[in-house]
Amino acid sequence: MLRRYFPSLGVILAIVAILLCLPHFYSNQSFLFNMMLYLALAEGLNIIYGFTGYLPFGYVGFFGAGAYGAAIAITLLHISPFFGVIIGGIAAVLIGIILIPLLRLSGAYFAIANLAASQALYFVVANPSLEKITQGPYGIDLSSVYNADASYYTMLGVLVFAMLLVAYMRNSNFGLSLLAIKEDQVTASLAGVNVVKARSIAWMLSAFVAGLSGAAFGWYTAVFYPSTVFSLDVSVFTIVFVLFGGIGTVAGPLVGTLILYSMYNFIGISTPQYFQLFYGLLIIVLVLFLPDGVASILQKGKVYVP
Amino acid sequence: MSRLKALFIVIASAILVFAAVPSFAKKAPKVITIGTLYASSGPFATSSTPQYEGLKFWVSQVNKEGGVFVKAFNKKIPVKLVAYDDQSKTATAGMLYNQLITRDHVDMLAADFGSVLTSVAVPLAKVHKVMLFDQTGTAAKFFTPDNPYVVLCSLPTSGKWPYALADFMIAKKIPRVAILYASNDFDQSQAVTLHDKLVKAGIKPVYYQAVPTSTSNYSVLIHSIQATKPDAVIEFGFPNNDIAFLQGLQASGVKFKMVFTIFPGQLFELLEKNVGAKALYYTYTYPTPPLLKYEKVDLGMGLSQFEQAFKKETGKEVNFLNVAGYNTGLIMQKTLETAPKFDQLAFRKAVTGFSGKLMTLDGKFEVDANGAQVGEMLPVAQFVPKGVGGIEMHIVYPPNMKTAEAVYPAP
Amino acid sequence: MNLFAYTIIAGIMYGVFFGLVGLGLNIIFGVMRMINLAHGDVIMLGSFLAYWLYELLGFNPLLVVPVAVAVFFLVGFPLYYALVPRLLRSKDPEMLSFILFFGVSQVIEAVIIFAFGNNQRSIPFNVFGSAGFDIFGQRFPIAWLVTTLVALAAFGFIYWYLQHTRMGYATRAVMANRDEAMISGIDVNRISAVVFCMGLALASIAGIFSFFIIGASYPSMGPELTTVSFAIIVLGSLGNPLGTILGGLIYGVAIMFMQSYFSSWANILPYVLLIAVMLFKPEGLIGKAARSA
Repeated sequence: MLRRYFPSLGVILAIVAILLCLPHFYSNQSFLFNMMLYLALAEGLNIIYGFTGYLPFGYVGFFGAGAYGAAIAITLLHISPFFGVIIGGIAAVLIGIILIPLLRLSGAYFAIANLAASQALYFVVANPSLEKITQGPYGIDLSSVYNADASYYTMLGVLVFAMLLVAYMRNSNFGLSLLAIKEDQVTASLAGVNVVKARSIAWMLSAFVAGLSGAAFGWYTAVFYPSTVFSLDVSVFTIVFVLFGGIGTVAGPLVGTLILYSMYNFIGISTPQYFQLFYGLLIIVLVLFLPDGVASILQKGKVYVP
Repeated sequence: MSRLKALFIVIASAILVFAAVPSFAKKAPKVITIGTLYASSGPFATSSTPQYEGLKFWVSQVNKEGGVFVKAFNKKIPVKLVAYDDQSKTATAGMLYNQLITRDHVDMLAADFGSVLTSVAVPLAKVHKVMLFDQTGTAAKFFTPDNPYVVLCSLPTSGKWPYALADFMIAKKIPRVAILYASNDFDQSQAVTLHDKLVKAGIKPVYYQAVPTSTSNYSVLIHSIQATKPDAVIEFGFPNNDIAFLQGLQASGVKFKMVFTIFPGQLFELLEKNVGAKALYYTYTYPTPPLLKYEKVDLGMGLSQFEQAFKKETGKEVNFLNVAGYNTGLIMQKTLETAPKFDQLAFRKAVTGFSGKLMTLDGKFEVDANGAQVGEMLPVAQFVPKGVGGIEMHIVYPPNMKTAEAVYPAP
Repeated sequence: MNLFAYTIIAGIMYGVFFGLVGLGLNIIFGVMRMINLAHGDVIMLGSFLAYWLYELLGFNPLLVVPVAVAVFFLVGFPLYYALVPRLLRSKDPEMLSFILFFGVSQVIEAVIIFAFGNNQRSIPFNVFGSAGFDIFGQRFPIAWLVTTLVALAAFGFIYWYLQHTRMGYATRAVMANRDEAMISGIDVNRISAVVFCMGLALASIAGIFSFFIIGASYPSMGPELTTVSFAIIVLGSLGNPLGTILGGLIYGVAIMFMQSYFSSWANILPYVLLIAVMLFKPEGLIGKAARSA
């Protein structure tokens, strides 16, 4: 029974081993942190996009909600940063619950409505009349609790959690029923799947991962502004990474992020426009020729992708 | 025990260790590395790029003379600039500052332009104990007693900018004032200062409103302001806001006796190109070099010499941010020239040592105990027509710097 | 009272222009059932074309209109045939086209930054003369009047095209039902290609005049404009081009009132309107269309 989890767990263990060892050889911790961040976000997005087909263009809304949820808990309620991160995750889930009605919309409508929701949330958080709670547009300062190592390992924990979630969905009946809904909603509900409930659970899990990631990011960065944690780039990068890797598997989003984010770091940072041009073209090519990502090449060759 | 207290003890003991242990005579490095960031794209590109050019210009100047004199080693050492592009994004900037400190092990760190891109560097510099030479990040919250690792090289903290402006308006006895500001740290702190100073002098602003920093059409706002019948309208924004505000004002045909915006005095060419010289007639602003000319300097070039040399090297006219970038280089140079030891707290001590005694083309360099700039003062200036279609700027306040009387009310 | 009248009149002019901003997106959606996520970037391209011709050759923005139309018909046809038929054959054209046009939008933005750098650009307001004009005792810049008239002309053209030309008739048939239109012998691909080019051209025209209403142009302005455009066409009615003007008017007047009376909350408005309409009246204020799961 548990045996079918082995390939997924193998991938997860390999990633964890690398991320535990690497800081001892490679001094740019910040790069590793951001890599973990995008790995976790890619898996989080995979939960909703890969298993239900809903493309959350406003995924960054959960990320920002997590960062702000944690920051408010830490600065106003004086909670320790570690529990602050969990509160950040919960804050994102609360936003997710508010947005559940959006799941009534399909395809591109959902994507745009979700994008609008994340922008609306951004403008609310950044509004100067909420300065007492969110600091408005003037930014959060967590430098008094700054702890690079603790937040690094917290982020690693969030990543492991996200990967385990996807491994579970990849190999469990819950994941299967979601895929059935994605394939044909009517047939699935006739077969006894509670469509609304299953979808909503996936949605909230996905939000939870993004919220935890945002909270850990806020802690690690220590000083941030609403524009930092609600930047559409976060959604865009995550979506491109996931599309490139391939959805619905544990390994696909990981591979996509590892390749593209490393490329971004080594090419993109010195010449960002080239990178933007490159991933723009990459998206076009993927959609036209490889809509299911890199993982689908292997799957076509009958190779099992965990 | 509070964290702050713990932090104090850590810092105090760090200082003690540095002071007590006789420093080993370190071997002189082959080059002094200076790390910095710039933004080639995004909202800060227009300001960040020229500032970076100014700093690069300083590097090429000192290297032409065989490098910068480092007192700790008693010889000249060439300077190497390590620079990355953060694209105006704070997340990227955070990662790159980290990279500069932990991977490139730079000897000194210069921040990118403005408060937003400087903000992420402040805690990093503090944690990794590297001196951050803040170029133009003027948010007051960066400068705290528990952080010795930051110094503001150019411009006072933004809350202090409108001091002369407030005094000018009080001296002119302008009864009805409207203040419109973009909701961000930089503009809000100025609006608050001005508002409080005016209220203290018995002038209660008739209009005091924040708008989103992304506002790009001011026509309706200008009419709302007009409805309150103000004599003076003060708009605090970023360059985009100032452009949109001045365009809206010109297009609506509404006239006020006095109009003030921040950036014509810093980015004159950008503003003139976008709104035209006519829209700037009789507008008030904070003048900065090159509009404000400091020729008698203790270090580096005076303004006109700098203008010539910079044009020769880059082919471009000088703007304020070129000056600010060059000025950062000069402050670093002076630090290296005077610090007896080659370590970060010795650098900080050296800065305190020459604070108040250094005049550069950017004005007087003076920092308070927390590293915030207090020397440079922003006077009030006004643009007036010159000949046919031309424009020139007069400093109208404070009296000791005045070059002409203000034309008030504007015709 | 003065301010109130000013706000309404400004809101109407603003709104007519924003109708034009959404029009190109809506007409493409109506015929192809695809959301052109690069719509805002095409608007940006239009404004850069206008800026460039103005700076270099002193072109009046009105003269740029035919140039833009020509350019986008020349670019639009090959682009359509390269991308769209292939997409329509795939298993989920709606979602895939959405992602594909997002890629196109990124490419456009990067290329424009290469070509023009990142600075913002603008054309002075007084290019149509510096006189103002009065409506009910309120004075407005002449550039606003010109912009409003151009937008109204664009709507007039689309009305004429759909109601009074053979091709427009066929276009309406495709809008109503693509498969039936194909069976009845209409060259659906050709109609779609023409409408695609028309949509791009309309977006670029909105871009040419965006300086006077929206403000200065910069390469990364596209995505926000796409979202606003989408809000407008959802408000009006998805897939009904002439309904766009209603969406634009609601948006324009509402945003002007927000600016006058609750200025710090104005930027949240389009997003809230968008979500509200999608959730509570997904068929738009006057239309039918719009699918939900």
